[in-house]
Amino acid sequence: MVNSEPFENPAPPQRRFSILAAVLSYLVPGLGQIYQGRVAKGILFMVCLYGMFFTGMAMGDWKNVYLPPMDLRARETTVASFPGALRFLAKVLPATILSRPHFMGQFWIGVAAWPAICQYNDMPLPLRDRFPVLHDFDRAPEDENVMNEYLRNSDKTPDLAWVYTVIAGVLNILVIYDALAGPAFGTKAPSGVDGSRPQQEVARA
Amino acid sequence: MNPSLAPFSIYWQLPILIIVISLVYSATRFDQWGDILRESARWARNMGLFLAVIALVLYALAWWI
Repeated sequence: MVNSEPFENPAPPQRRFSILAAVLSYLVPGLGQIYQGRVAKGILFMVCLYGMFFTGMAMGDWKNVYLPPMDLRARETTVASFPGALRFLAKVLPATILSRPHFMGQFWIGVAAWPAICQYNDMPLPLRDRFPVLHDFDRAPEDENVMNEYLRNSDKTPDLAWVYTVIAGVLNILVIYDALAGPAFGTKAPSGVDGSRPQQEVARA
Repeated sequence: MNPSLAPFSIYWQLPILIIVISLVYSATRFDQWGDILRESARWARNMGLFLAVIALVLYALAWWI
């Protein structure tokens, strides 16, 4: 005889796409998971990714997340050099990303990388006298020669430092996806997908 | 380099990186902590073995040449 009563441990409800959670996880790693009620996992993401990103910045003397400045004329020349189909993309993206591709990875860490975009576009910044750290945060080095000399005279640490920041940004893409659609391998159901007994058990009964 | 981080060899950062990357990656695959930790340990072991093999090959090459 077939037992059609629901199984005692129903499967967890199917997770729906959550764009808001994905946006939150982009802004601050793990915030989307916290919003969804997966607090421990959200805190894990936040601690690991921000820990990695800011450790990388500290190891590089806070000089490795930036977009090199470029004047307006040079920007227009760069955009015009792109093939037609990609010209829109070149207008939207900061042109100097081509000379600083690290930022393509760092960008995904969220708001922590936004000051670089503000610095690049000469947006209003907190006053240097009152908030010196915020004023110079993610600012491009003023003298390229000084920067090159610093890199030449250091050990491998500054090179490893930007790798930290890029890995943190790229890992956050997975975190954003986790917030959007749930974990890649899903949540294990204890039995049938709909909470009923699996077919083999039903057949045996 | 930041003076507070100066005394550490950069190679000490390798195990930390392996642990953090495998933990975050595994947490995006599963929701249950048991699964996350198991998957994380598996990834950490595989990454460690992969790097150890490369180190061994480079050491052998350096010794040979």
